[in-house]
Parts: sequence; structure tokens; C-alpha cells
Amino acid sequence: MYAFYFKSLIHSLPLFFKGLWITILVSGISLVAGTVLGIICGIFRTVKRWGLSRIMGAYADYMRGVPFLVHIFIIYFILPEVGIQLEPFPAAAIALTIYAGAYISEIVAAGILSVPRGQREAATAYGLNAFQQMRHIVFPQAFKVILPPLVGEYVLLIKDSSIVSVIGLTDVTRVGWLTVQRIPEGIMVFGLVGILYFVICYPLIHLSHILEKKVSYDAQ
Amino acid sequence: MIRFNDVNKWFGANHVLKDINLHIQPGEAVVICGPSGSGKSTLIRCINQLEPIQKGEIFVDNIQVNKRATNLTRLRSQIGFVFQQFNLYPHLSVLENVVLSPIKVKKIARREAEENARELLERVGIPDKADDYPSQLSGGQCQRVAIARGLAMNPKVMLFDEPTSALDPEMIKEVLDVMVELAVEGMTMIVVTHEMGFAREVAHRVFFMDEGQIVESNAPDAFFDHPAHERTKAFLSKIITHN
Repeated sequence: MYAFYFKSLIHSLPLFFKGLWITILVSGISLVAGTVLGIICGIFRTVKRWGLSRIMGAYADYMRGVPFLVHIFIIYFILPEVGIQLEPFPAAAIALTIYAGAYISEIVAAGILSVPRGQREAATAYGLNAFQQMRHIVFPQAFKVILPPLVGEYVLLIKDSSIVSVIGLTDVTRVGWLTVQRIPEGIMVFGLVGILYFVICYPLIHLSHILEKKVSYDAQ
Repeated sequence: MIRFNDVNKWFGANHVLKDINLHIQPGEAVVICGPSGSGKSTLIRCINQLEPIQKGEIFVDNIQVNKRATNLTRLRSQIGFVFQQFNLYPHLSVLENVVLSPIKVKKIARREAEENARELLERVGIPDKADDYPSQLSGGQCQRVAIARGLAMNPKVMLFDEPTSALDPEMIKEVLDVMVELAVEGMTMIVVTHEMGFAREVAHRVFFMDEGQIVESNAPDAFFDHPAHERTKAFLSKIITHN
């Protein structure tokens, strides 16, 4: 029986790869969009004007205080009530982008604040405007601090993308759910799902470690 | 060149500058000394508006700096500032540190800016360090790069905020030598320092500050040999007994 299930699982592999592709696609898109959003919001978070810092703080607090599962329900089931109907894929991508953006903004803000005040002072004294200071002085230095946790955040994002299966997006987790109904070997099916996630996450985890070591080496 | 009219500044309830009046001529080198917390650094940081003032007027080259309409970028590009902690940009090479503002703020062509930067590095005695990074340099070398960075803007005034206080003793001289040369060449400069040898050698006037006020100002010989004020005497006796 076991061998039979294993064989059917092998036959289902293309489905798993299709699901994996959806996972990569949805997390890849939200990873890029979330990074852009996170950088902008992270910079705003450090601006002590126009209440920007507070607004960004509220956004991060929302994301931290509301479970991602509820967040995705809000986007997928509640937005149609106000006339915004989304397909599962864009809904998932938007939900993940907003989610990643919040956490990345925290990472970016912390990185920017880690740059010594004297750097901004020197740049100010030498006539660079706020944008030039960010572009040439602050951000390049903050980037080194930001990079390792940012890559770590990408890993979390890829894993958390499994939750989007609840709104019917056929990512690799949902393929697992569908397959286990035909092949009632949970360990085997979800073992495979786990391995597929691990295979894409592990290189990133490794990269994060390398970057962390490099940053602490540079700091010496 | 630089004029303060009844300048007052508070940090919260703390009154850090009290009715400061001063007038510095073009080509003049002025040393400001005084105990820590007396407002010396704050005073020079007000000149390029790193610190805002709450009352009074500051003029640089007849332009009032503490006015909304003043173009601060333009003003700052005429004032070189050297920090106690150097504040070089650690992610940029020495040469990039020096050319950044000339290129980005003064819009000078890169080639011209680099040529000028190399000349300045030669002038401060480290022409071979252009491609190094600040972390590879000694403190004295860093501070000389910082001076070159200031000079690269071709400023009308150079401000020094305790430029040798963060340096090991053996590196102080190499920085002071550069500063002496600048003063001799006629650069207008205001130097916050406790280097009394420097003050005697090149300063035209020495100011003594205490508790946010300029207590005494005089030519260096008179200042050191016949201090008028009790607080000045007390301060000088502390410094000199240690030398």
C-alpha cells in the first residue's frame, strides 16, 4: 500500500512543482513590492515631521497586532463588501506585500537610526540636502545593517505565504491539502511539502548567516 | 566676516548662550577656550546652523543665517567645519570623502574636483592615502582628511570644533601644523581648542567662555600673561599646571 501511495505521489509531482511555482511567484512578487514599500515606509518612520513617523508606526502595529490569517481574510472577504473584488492571486500578493512591508519598514528604520548622528551632521554641514544625505551617506551605511535581517524576513515571508492557501490559491501547501485527500499518507505528502519549502528557504538562511558574519567582521 | 548680535540659545530650559556679541574680521584666526559645557561648541555650531538660535542675529559675510529665507545649502558650502570625531564617511574612500560635496553641492565636474582633492591631500601631507578608507587611517590622518574635505568647498571660513581632542598625543602636532599653515595663509578661522601653544602661535584673539558667556577676549599674549577675570585665571591655572 505504501509503495502504491509513493508511486502516486511521484505521479503527482508535476502538481507539486506547479504549486511550488505559485508559491515562488506570489512570495517573489510580494518580496520585491514589500521591499520597496518597506524602504519607503522605513524612511518615513525616521522623519519627525507631518506625523509621518506615527502613521508608519500605526501601520507596523496593525501588522504586528493582527494575525496574518485574519489580515488576509480582511483583504479577500471584507474588501468585496466595499466593492473591491480581488482574485485569489492578487489578493494574496497584496496581503503579503502589506505584511512584508510593515516588518521590512521596521528593519529599515532601525538600520537608518543605527547610523551615527555625526554622519548626518557632517553631511548637513557640507551642504547636502535631505535626499542627498539619505542617498549618499545614510542609506549606504544603513544597508549593511539592514541586509541580514532583511534576508531573514524573506524566509519568513516565503513560509508565511503558505497561509494564502486558505483563500483558494493553489500554492504548494494547497497542493498538499488536495493531494492528501487522494493519498491519505499525511507524513509522506506534507513531508514533501516541507522539503520543497526548505529547499527554497535554506539558501536564503545560509545567505543571511554569511551576511551577518560579514557585517560583524566589518564592524571590527 | 562673522558677526553675532545678542545671540541667545536655549536647550529646553537650559540657557546655553547668553547675549553673545562678537565680530570676526576676514583673515582673523580666533581661538575659543573654556571649561566643558561652557557653550564653545554650541557657539560655532550656530554659525552654520547645525544648531538653531532662539534670539539675536548671526551674520556670515553680511548674510543673516538665522532667517528662513536664507539659502542654507549655499551658506554651508562657504563654511568648512571640522568635527572632534572627524565624522568622515566610512563607506567612501578618502578621495570620495573629499569630492562628494564639491560634486553634489557645488556641481563641479568630477575630474576637476578630483584634481583639486589630490592637491589638498598633498597639502595636508597624505597624498598617498587617496584610495584608502577612513578605517585604514590613524586619527591624525583622519582629521587631516577632514580638513581637506572642508577646504575642498573653497570656504570663506573654517570652523574647528576641538579638532585635536580625540587624538592620541603624538598625532596632535601633525594636525596642528596643518592648521597653523592655514592661519598663516590668512584663512578666517574659529577654533575651539585647549591647545594653548596653537593659540599663542597663530591666534589673533583668544576668547574665554564660561556658562554661556564670553567672559574675556584679548590678544593671546595679553590673554595668557595678564588675564583680567577671576574665572579666566582659575581656568588657565588649571590648564597650565598640567602642561
